[in-house]
Parts: sequence; structure tokens; C-alpha cells
Amino acid sequence: MIFEQLQNEVTAILARYPVKRSALLPLLNLAQAREGYVSEPAMREIAKLLDLTPPQVFETVTFYTMFNLKPIGTFHLQICKSLMCALVGSDDLVAWIKNQLDIGPGQTTSDNMFTLSVVECLGSCGTGPMMQVNDDYYEQLTEEKLKRIFDDLRRDGTCSLKSGPFMYPESAAK
Amino acid sequence: MAQYEKILLKNMEQPGYSGSLKEYEQAGGYQALKKVLKDFSPDAVIDAVKKSGLRGRGGAGFPTGVKWGFIPKDHPGPKYLCCNADESEPGTFKDRQLMERDPHQMLEGMVITCFAIGAETAYIYIRGEFRLGAQILWRALDEAKAAGYVGENLLGSGKTINIYVHQGAGAYICGEETALLESLEGKRGMPRFKPPFPATHGLYQKPTVVNNVETMANIPHIINNGAEWFASIGSPPKSTGTRVFCLSGHVKRPGNYEVPMGIPFREFIYDLGGGMRSDKPLKGFIPGGASAPFLKPEHLDVKMDFESVALAGSMLGSGGVTVMEEGTSMVWAALRLMEFFYHESCGKCTPCREGSSWLVQTLQRIWQKKGRQGDIELLEELCGNIAGRTVCAFGEAEVGPVLSTIKHWRHEYEALIQEAQVALPPNKELPVFSH
Amino acid sequence: MATTQETKPDLVTLTIDGKSARVPKGTLVIEAARQVGVMVPHFCYHPKLTPDANCRMCLVEIEKMPRLQTSCSTPVAEGMVVKSAKSDQVEAARKSVLDFILANHPLDCPVCDQGGRCDLQDFSHEYTATKSQFQELKRVFQKEYFSPLIETQMNRCVQCLRCVRYCDQVMDVKALAPVGRGTLTEIKAFGTHELDCEFCGGCVQICPVGAITSRMSMYEFRPWMLKRADSICGYCGDGCQITYQTKNNSLIEVSSTHGSGRNNGDLCARGYFGYHVSEHPERIQTPLIRQGETFQPAIWEEALEQVGQTLLAIKQQHGPDAIAGLITGRCTNEDLYVFQKFMRGVVGTNQIDSSVRYGHLNGVRALQRVQGTHRWTVSFDDIVEADVLLLVGTNVTETNPITGLKIKEAVKRKGAKLITIEALQPAVGTISNIVNLAHHHFGVRADGFQGAVLALMKSVLETRGMAEDVKASATAYGNDLMAQLSGLAWSRLENRTGYSLSDYGHAASTFCQGKKVVILVGQDVLRASGGYGMTMNLLDLLLLTGKLSNPGCGVAPLAEENNDQGAFEMGAVSDVLPGGFSIDHAESRTAVSKHWGRSIPDSSGGALPQFLERMQSGAIKALLVVGENPLGSLPPVSGIEQALEGLQLLVCQELFMTETARKAHVVLPVCSSAEKEGTFTNTEGHVQAVRKAVEPVGDGRPDWEIFSALSIIMGDSMEYGDVKEIGKEIRNVLPGIRPLGPTPIPSKPDAMVVCGYVGGEYRRDLDSRYRLIDEQPDFSDELLVSLRQSLFHSGKFSLKADGLLKVESEGKLYVHPDEAARRNIGEGDQVDLCNDRGTIRAKVGLRERIPMGMAVFPEHFDQEMRGLLSYAVDPETQVPYYKLAQARIVKV
Ligand SMILES: Cc1cc2nc3c(=O)[nH]c(=O)nc-3n(C[C@H](O)[C@H](O)[C@H](O)COP(=O)(O)O)c2cc1C
Ligand code: SF4
Ligand code: FES
Repeated sequence: MIFEQLQNEVTAILARYPVKRSALLPLLNLAQAREGYVSEPAMREIAKLLDLTPPQVFETVTFYTMFNLKPIGTFHLQICKSLMCALVGSDDLVAWIKNQLDIGPGQTTSDNMFTLSVVECLGSCGTGPMMQVNDDYYEQLTEEKLKRIFDDLRRDGTCSLKSGPFMYPESAAK
Repeated sequence: MAQYEKILLKNMEQPGYSGSLKEYEQAGGYQALKKVLKDFSPDAVIDAVKKSGLRGRGGAGFPTGVKWGFIPKDHPGPKYLCCNADESEPGTFKDRQLMERDPHQMLEGMVITCFAIGAETAYIYIRGEFRLGAQILWRALDEAKAAGYVGENLLGSGKTINIYVHQGAGAYICGEETALLESLEGKRGMPRFKPPFPATHGLYQKPTVVNNVETMANIPHIINNGAEWFASIGSPPKSTGTRVFCLSGHVKRPGNYEVPMGIPFREFIYDLGGGMRSDKPLKGFIPGGASAPFLKPEHLDVKMDFESVALAGSMLGSGGVTVMEEGTSMVWAALRLMEFFYHESCGKCTPCREGSSWLVQTLQRIWQKKGRQGDIELLEELCGNIAGRTVCAFGEAEVGPVLSTIKHWRHEYEALIQEAQVALPPNKELPVFSH
Repeated sequence: MATTQETKPDLVTLTIDGKSARVPKGTLVIEAARQVGVMVPHFCYHPKLTPDANCRMCLVEIEKMPRLQTSCSTPVAEGMVVKSAKSDQVEAARKSVLDFILANHPLDCPVCDQGGRCDLQDFSHEYTATKSQFQELKRVFQKEYFSPLIETQMNRCVQCLRCVRYCDQVMDVKALAPVGRGTLTEIKAFGTHELDCEFCGGCVQICPVGAITSRMSMYEFRPWMLKRADSICGYCGDGCQITYQTKNNSLIEVSSTHGSGRNNGDLCARGYFGYHVSEHPERIQTPLIRQGETFQPAIWEEALEQVGQTLLAIKQQHGPDAIAGLITGRCTNEDLYVFQKFMRGVVGTNQIDSSVRYGHLNGVRALQRVQGTHRWTVSFDDIVEADVLLLVGTNVTETNPITGLKIKEAVKRKGAKLITIEALQPAVGTISNIVNLAHHHFGVRADGFQGAVLALMKSVLETRGMAEDVKASATAYGNDLMAQLSGLAWSRLENRTGYSLSDYGHAASTFCQGKKVVILVGQDVLRASGGYGMTMNLLDLLLLTGKLSNPGCGVAPLAEENNDQGAFEMGAVSDVLPGGFSIDHAESRTAVSKHWGRSIPDSSGGALPQFLERMQSGAIKALLVVGENPLGSLPPVSGIEQALEGLQLLVCQELFMTETARKAHVVLPVCSSAEKEGTFTNTEGHVQAVRKAVEPVGDGRPDWEIFSALSIIMGDSMEYGDVKEIGKEIRNVLPGIRPLGPTPIPSKPDAMVVCGYVGGEYRRDLDSRYRLIDEQPDFSDELLVSLRQSLFHSGKFSLKADGLLKVESEGKLYVHPDEAARRNIGEGDQVDLCNDRGTIRAKVGLRERIPMGMAVFPEHFDQEMRGLLSYAVDPETQVPYYKLAQARIVKV
């Protein structure tokens, strides 16, 4: 029962909406944050919380690409391959990652550390190529940067290269 | 290089500006809200926004005040405001900056909008990947609530306006306003057919306004400085105010630039963006996000306003300008965008659902030099069978890149097909599609 | 709508393909077109569902509108000019939509059960070029096991979502999920699980192509090989139109067409998947005569001779009242009519009874007594149009699924307010639960409905008072009832039902706001102690609030068997003559006997409970049992076993070897309702034609034929050439029974009867009806076990339907998960249920909807469970009550 320990969050989420079903995406997000993916028991639990049938939860889950229905690696690498990032070299990075980590899109490294996904535009086109790792954005990527990011993530679980609040072109800020 | 006065990015471009409530207030923030509560009736706000000429910054460019005016005044029961922060149009990344760097600006705009349309509840529908943005907004909401700008008994006015952040979960189509509403209701993000429009049957079938982040951010400035002031900026009467245009692709300084509407693309790309990143000349550009048809170098002097771009055969859309240098294959570019559309089609309408997959497969085939005679005509026919026959504007959007690249660079298609004819034994064709 | 006057809606005039149409405002263009004969091709549109406009097939050109418009989602407007078939642009658009659909379609028509009746085939034939330009790889979905009864072939899916929308909007089940996005969307259940739902077959029926098909008959036919026969389902009182489709005299499938029947094309699992019962290998093929412990097959002449002669001998020796007859309400009106005529006219006894006695009689008797009708004063249409619905003691979606759909439509589509007094609790699941939709739900124990009914009445009258005309013209009645209600202390009612004064107050105010109020009374009232009194009280409630005689208002007791209503109307009840008249009514008796040219005994004969006594005492020597199985349904405490043992002659007319048939001296094979002609009268009192779809199995004969033959042997010939002749006689005897039209005309309360009732008749049992039934001692550790009908079965009959057995093959003792947890038992555990009547073993199932302290067991699997039941007989209506047991539960 994953929501048992999250009573406060659940109550707060439900309070935001006049119609219960609206809480579906927030609760799914919560479940995924907790378990790394959206498990079947979680879907059933959510269905019950929201007076939905499990198929209603399931159909919604599968519409949205951010929900994983299976456990994935510790770090979910999502590289944008849409045109804008592709113009500035995202395909090369995917190839490089494949080479370095020995995983293709949809695969997870044998140590369960990294899962690679090639995704569509993440709203960072001016700062491509870019990738999202779990919640964080990493932008203006190069092979060197990627190398450092992977090393840091492996070692520290985080990396200081992640982008802070968005500000480009940077020169204007200075 | 011309210097333009900034409105929306002004605060955040001050060194050290963090977007906190305190800083926002120091920069004059929430004065507009106070003014509205003191001196304005809801109708007066709507009037001001109408007079300002502000048009939606989300893509369709619908006059904002007019949209608000559609909300039934005497409607019993709740009305809603939804701020569209789904920002998923490839080439567009301005809302992210507006939210992450100066969240109170849009929040103030939202509170004023709620006041104008009589909504007590507003949701910010932010794309799921913008985790940071969502965090920043929640934090800003907490601050605003503590200061009485949001919540119950707003600044002692007796009014209640609650704002919540609602995170999406990865679906471009949820930027389409009715799909956004469905998604917000906890369903699959499938657009609804219109009419009825959200203004009467929106969220939970109640009157609802959906406005883009940048649209919201403009509101406080219109109140503070007056509708006339706003209407004088840009290229009046139809394209007033500034816009935060996003620049990406093969340029030296990609990023967001706020300029008055109506400057030429040339100035935007070459002066602000620093021009091409290498010595290769510009081959083509997308003027308004992935949905906007491609333009050519000859369009560089087109003015960046709604009408001029439309006249040139494209659209200003979401304001995302993507530049491609000579050497970029336009068939490949069209294919890349088509893959995006194929991936993002919600699947509701037959033409869009099946057409997008068919288009992708045909483009892939051509690009992989397995094209056939007649493929260009096939592409054109398919596009013709999609556009105008779908529930939402996605249908028009997805054919834009294909049709415009065929129009401007037909020879590239022809050349690839020609190569295929030489390379492939006749009648031996290989399936090339992969999901 | 038969009962209420409607204001004429605004009409709009428009032109479609040059034809002028005048239709009500709000009509969709596609419907307006249909009305003037312009068929617009479509996939996703269905009149039952809200438009979704996703397939884009129905595009039309509308003058002054930009682009083509979907006619399925565009309402008509005055002066609109629509072009459909006459527009090249439209033609091209339709072609292209088909091209798109066919791009990913497997074109496997030769092996598709839909082939020949497929919208996609038809439209393709009409519009597309023979060669597609699509030459890529088609999308291929992995085949997955979907369910035992329903199969999906997702490669054929056109993604119109009709199935999904039907499952949600009409059924309120929500078991189907469109999974994934874009062209890779497929219809699934939950996760990788198989489909778990009501198996109404609606998705199969509504799929415009062959993406969802029935497994019952897969690959067995091509639609054009099938012979069709329109008939009526034999499983419950709703009386759904079904079309049997047969091939070489075997049943291939059942369907129901949108727009036809009282069910408007909707069915439940029993109707859609239960038809194979008729072809079950265990059907009795020939007459059987007992020889010691075994049966010997016999020819008809021999068997009939034996029965006829024995009956004659008994009659001569012991008088006609030594013979009794019991018939099922599953028989046709014609069977029932001839049965009672035979018993009364040939045998000479009124000792007859039928399955109406098990409960429906309570409802009919109450209607007769208060308002002088033996039918509802409302129809299904009134339920749909009602603004307040009160449901008492019925999980209607399981017992009468189509009545349930009418209620769902009223609540979900038309905004009716729903009040429920019912043991089950709201719990969302993939089997619909009507209390989920309730605005006011009183979840009281199955033995405590009376308290809630009285409390609601009290609250209604305390807040609103009685209607002015009652006050004026029925003062004493009003005052007496008010006094009775005042005598009930709120504290006691609150205590008894667990709901507070204010809960009842809210429901009462909803109730009072209703202009069209329908009260539905279900099995759990009608078949439980006090059921008659409660139905009377509910009629009082309508009377006191001045609604009883208002159009669109009424009390509607739900018939259980498909022809319970007919059994009553045909006079298959000891003290009831054809037409529902009392046997004591000399005039009616004379009139009927004149028609028959036979005299009718005037002693009332006694009901089933009396039969049991008289059989035990030896007064009754012979029992004719027609399609009934008293040994299989009555609990042992009723004395049924002993009663049967003493008989000199037990004859069973049966389809299968039931518990009772096994004890018979002669067993006569009969026709199932798929094998004969006749009529059924549904719960609304609507008489509908039953048609023969297949030839009888073996030597089976219709029941009426058997009585007719017996009458000849007994020397008092009652001959009929065919069913039509019987029908004609019935119509002569009962001129009112005629209508066979599409909609019933509900009866109206008889003002004279109402007058008599409020004038003093009501006093007879007032005290007993308004006295709170004594509280059952609360053994906190015991469970109240309630035998209830399940959606998937109807009587023991359906246990022979292999389709239904695939969904529910065994009886489980259902309890709430918390109740189970409290007792440390889990799904599938074996438990012993014991009380002082015995001990039985059962398997546990968990269901959220079962209230704490209760357990529900599906009644048709109740063989052993009956040993625990308590038994009582209603003093007024002689209805035997045996649905509840109080028992301890012990984990094995
Ligand atoms: C396919 C599609 C995607 C869209 N995506 C977005 C989006 O990400 N953000 C946005 O603000 N508007 C988007 N829109 C436009 C919205 O439908 C809507 O017009 C806009 O939110 C209205 O706000 P505005 O009037 O302030 O521009 C999209 C429209 C379509 C058809
Ligand atoms: S046009 Fe495409 S994205 Fe829009 S509703 Fe139709 S299928 Fe969905
Ligand atoms: S029937 Fe109108 S869009 Fe499908």
C-alpha cells in the first residue's frame, strides 16, 4: 500500500480538484516518484482512491509517455532527438552513449544504473543537444560533458552540470 | 544593433534577479493586481485587454480580451482559468524561462485574469518534464499565498482565487486546449470537438479560459501601463506588444529574445542571434514552431508579426524560430518533424492517426533511398487528406513541414527518389518502417 | 412516451441532398439525414453514445461553413443546406478516410466473423478504389488472450472507441481501456489481465468491424448462412428482444438490434451468451417412466396414457382436490393459460400455483389492492424520463439488467436523482453496481429494509406533509397513516437503520421535488419477510404525496422470471382467474366458464405452502410440475422432501433432470423457448411474441400440447391446432391482453379501487404494516447470509449454459475484504457455515460491495446452502420467504 505512507500528500492533492479523477496524473506522478515506475498495485490503489476502475487508470497511464510500466535503471537518460536538437548533434550523442554504455534506446545497463530513452522535444531547443536525467535537465551537451555527468552520477548520484533556472542567451544575464 | 525595451524579460535580466516575491515586488510587482482590485471592474479589465490588442502567445494568436469576453457573465457555479504551460512545440522554450525566472509575473497575470472572468480556481498545466518549473511555481504560489496575493480573501477584497500547479506526463497534444482540459480531468489527452468551446463548456463542462504563460505574463504590464501603451508597441493594430521569440538551430547565439512584434527575421536571426554558426549560409528556417511551414532565405525580410508571416505562407505560431544552414537535407528535416508528429498524434482522428504513420513511412523510404516514382505526389495527396479533416489543429500542423519542404525544395525529394530508382532493382521493395 | 404529455419541441427545417427535413432542434445532421433517407457512412457515431467525431467518415458539406463538417457532431440549424452524397468533395474525403483505415487493416475478411455484415466492407465496397497506395508494413498487434467469451482482433480495429464508450456510457462498467497512443492504440482490459466485466456482449454488438467478436461461435458460420428468428429472451422479467441466428437447426448466436425491443438492442450476459442451454447434451429427449429406481424411455402415447389414467383414477377416488399443479413463469402465456384451464376445467381444481408465488405476487397483490391494477402504471420509458427514482431491495443491474440500464440512462444522461435502499454498498468495479450512482444511499442490512422505508416515509411526511387532496378527501386515511408514522420514534429508526434523521431528510427533500417518481421494488423485498407490507407502504407513500395517479409515477415491482407477469395474468395462481380476477369474483368466474364451456370450482384451492402441507398429510396425491423445481429451490425446512415422497403421482414436464424430476414417476420432455411459439409478458406488462428458432430437441413438445393431449385421454377434450388458436381464445377471454406493439400502454390506477382503499380497506392490516419488525438478535459474530441472483445466472437453468459457466462456474460466499480480514480468511479459502439447521462448506470470494456483517451467495448454486435457510410464509399472500440465513462462519 504505497499511499498509506503518503496520506498527507494524497489529501493535499485531492483537495485541489472538485472532481476526483483530476487527481489521477498527480497521484501517478507520486507513485512513480516513489517506486520508480507505475506498478499494478499502485494503479489499483489509485483506482480505489478516485472511484475509478483499474482499466480507467490503465488507459490514462498508457497515453502518457512519462510513465514507466516496468522498473527501469536508477538514472533514466532521455535524449531529445527532435529536429532542433538533431540539428545540433543529438544523434551523435546517442551513438556515443550507445558506444560508451553499451545500451540502445529502451535498454538498461547491466548494472541497472542507466536506462536510455530517445524522446521527442523537451522544450530546450535553444540549448541542445540536451537530455533529461530523472528530474534534471542537462543542456548544451558534448561528449566530454556526458562523460563527466555519467561519472558523477555513478559516483555521487548527482551532477552539478544540471541546468538551473533557464536563462539563455547567458550573455544577456551578465 | 537596435536595443529594444523589454517588458517580460526585464526583471529577470537584472543581474542577480532570482524571481522571489520580494524582488518581484521591488520591481513593481503586484501593483497591477492592487490597482485592479481598487479601481477596476471585471469588465474594465476585459476592456483594457481588448483595447491593448493582446493576442494569445500559445500559437493560434486569438485576441485574449475577446476570448475572455465569451465567458458567460451570469453563469451560476464555478468558472476556471487554465494557464497553458505545456510548452511542447518543438522549437519553443520561452514559457520555461518565464516560469522559472519570474514566476510571479505570470501568477499576477493569472490572478487578474481570474478576477476579470470571475474564476475562483485556476490551474497551471505544466508539462511533466518541467519538474524544476513546477517546483518554482509551487514555491512562488506559497509566497504569494502568504502575502495574500493568492488564496482566500485576496488582499482583503473578500475574493477567493486559488491557483494550483498541475503536472502533465508527456504528451505534446495536451498543449491543445481541449486536450489539456481532458488531461486535467484525469483522462487521456484527446482533444474534444468544437463547438462547444471551452468558454462555455470547458473544464468539468464549466466556462473556462485557456491562456498561454506568456499571454498571462503580459497582463500586469497592460494594467500598469495602459492598453494604449501596449497597443503602440510592435506592429499595431493586429500584432501589438513584444514577443519572446525562441531561436534555435544553426545560429551562433540561440536562445530567447524579447522584441517588439514586427522586426524582420533577418534582424532577429543575424543581429540578435549572431547569424549562422558556421560559414554556411542559411538554407531555410521555421518561423513559428514545428507546426509552421518552412520559409526560405527570400523570406528573411518578412516582418515577425501575425499577418506578415501568414502572408508569406507560414505562421508566427508559438514564436519558435529554427534556422537551418546550407547542407541540411530538407527531406530529413521534414522526416524528423514528421516522426515527432507521428509520435504525438493522439490517435483520435483517422486521417491524423493513420496519415501521420503513412507520411513517416513514406518519408523514411525516400530518405533511405528507397523512394518510388509518385511518392512526392503521394505525400501531397496524403497531406491534402489530413488537413482540414481532423478534430484539432494538429492535423494542419503536421502537414505544414512536409508540404512546405516539398514546395521549396522539391528537387531534393526528386533527387533522393532518383537515386533509389538507380540503386533498387525494380519491384523489389523492402519494408522500412519501424516503430 | 405513452403516459406523459410532451410539449412539442421546436422544429427546424433544413435541406439535405436536396431533400427537405423537419426535425426537432438539437437533432444531429446525421440523424436528420437518416430521416430523409440519406445514409451518411460512419463508424464512431452511434445513437446510443455521445458523439466523439473521431472516425471522420461522416463528413458532409454544409453551406456557409468552412471545411467539411462531421455530421455526427453537428446539430441542425434552421435553413442549413447539407450536401452528402451529392458532393464530390465529400466523396473524396470518404474515400480518403477509408484509404487511411485500410492502410493498417489486415484485410482478413475471409476469416472474419464480421465478414458480410461489416461496415468497413460495405463502405469500402461503396467508396474505395480497389488498389491502395499504401505499400508499407502494416501495424501488427500481438495476439493476447482476452477472455473466455470475447475475443479481440486488434489489427482490425478502426479505433472508433464505440466499445469503450458503450462500456462506460451505457453499461457504466468501464472495463475496456484504449491502451497506448496514436495508431498503436489497442483495446485491452487492465494490464495484461483478461477481461473482467459484465459480459453483456455490447462491445461485440457495437463494434462496426470484426475487431471484437464472440468466441461462442467463432469461425462457425458466415453471416449470410444464418437464419434469423426474432424472439424474446427467457432469462428475466425484462423481456428483451433477441434474434436467434441459426445454421442447420443449431443456435449460432444471439443478437439484438439497436432500436428494437424494450431493451433497445442492449442485452446482458444471460441474453447474449446464455443461449446454448437449449442445445445442452443433457436435454431430456424422450418421455421417461419410472421403473423402481430408474427411468425407462417411453413413447409419448404410453407416458401420456399413464399420466392421464392415473389422474383420472385419483380424481375419481379422492376428488379433484387430490391433484395439484405447479408451473414456472418461464412458460409462455399460452402454456400457462392452457395449464390452468386444464387444471380448473378438466381436473376440476383450483390447486394451482406458479413461480409468481415466490415473490412477484407480493407486488402484484399490493398493486391490485391499492390501485386496482395488476400491472405497473409506468413503463421503461417512464423510468428513463423519471426525475426521481427510488430503488428498494434490488441490485437491479444483476437481477433485471435492462431495467438497470434504463435507470442508468435516467441518472447518467437525463439527470434523474436516485435514492437507494439496498444492502449492497457503493464500490466501483468492473461489474456495475447501481448504488454507485445513488444520490442518497441507505445501505441497510437485507433484513432491515422496512426500517429505512418507514423512516423515509416519515421524513417525507414530516417535512412536506401529505398532499392537499389527500388531506381533503381521505382525511381519515391520512390521519391514520400519520399517526402510525408519528408512533415510530426517530431514535428507534436511526438505531435500526444506522442512518440519521438528516440523512433521511435530504433524501426526502429530493423525493418531494420529484414530479415523475418511480419506485422500483426488487426481489430482496418481494422475496423477504415483510415484502408485501413494504410494497403496500411504498404505495401509501405515493398516495400520501399525491403522486400515485400522476402520469409517469408509480410503484414497479420487478418480475423475476421472464413470464411471471404472464403467469399471474393467465391465472396460473390458485385464487386468480385469467385476467387477474379473483376466484371469489362470481361474475368473472361465470364469464370465464362460459367461454370455456366448463365449470370452474369456487374453492380457492390454496397456494404452494398449503400444497406442501396437504401433500404431507396425504390429501394431495398427484402433483404436476411444469418447469418448476421445488425440491431444488425450497429449503428443507419447508418440508418439500417429505411432501414429494408421499405422492402417488409426480409428473415433471422438463428440459433437464432436475432434483424434482429425479423423484418423478413420469418425466415429459418439453420445448425450450427457442423451440416454440407463443408470447411472454414482461415486467412492464408488455406482451411480446416468442418465435421458434430451431426444431425441438428429441421428442420435446410444447407444454400446452401435453395438457391438450392429457385432456383428451381424460375424456374432456381441450383441443388446439396451434398456438395461434390459444392466443385467439385468450384474447376472447381477456380483451385487454391484445397489444403487441413496440411500446406498452401502462395501466392507470382505478379511481374506484383507490377510493375504496383510502376509504377504509387500508385499515385491515395497517398496524402490522407500520409496526417495525422485531429486531433480529444481533449475534455479532454471525453473518447474515443472503441468497441473491447473480448477473451471470438465472435460476438453475442457466447452469447449463456453457457460456455463462465460463464466467461463473461455482458459487462462492462473497464477503467484504475487511470482513474476511477480520476473520482471517482470504479469497478462495474454504469455510464452514453453521447454524442450528446444519453446516455447509463454501469457498470464499471477496467483494467490496458486500456490507460488513453480511455475506452473499449466488442463489442458483445454493444446493447445500438451502439447508441453512430460515423459512416463513406471508400470512396475507402466502409467499414463502427463504432467502436469508443467520450463520457462524468457521475457517476450515
Ligand atoms: C497541437 C497543438 C498543440 C498546442 N500546444 C500548445 C502549447 O504547448 N502551449 C500553448 O500555450 N498553446 C498550445 N496550443 C495552443 C492552444 O490550443 C491554445 O490555443 C492556447 O493555449 C491558447 O492560449 P493563448 O490564447 O494565450 O495563446 C497548441 C495547439 C495545438 C493545436
Ligand atoms: S488531429 Fe490528430 S492530434 Fe488532433 S485530435 Fe485528431 S488525432 Fe488527435
Ligand atoms: S461518425 Fe462522425 S466522425 Fe465518426
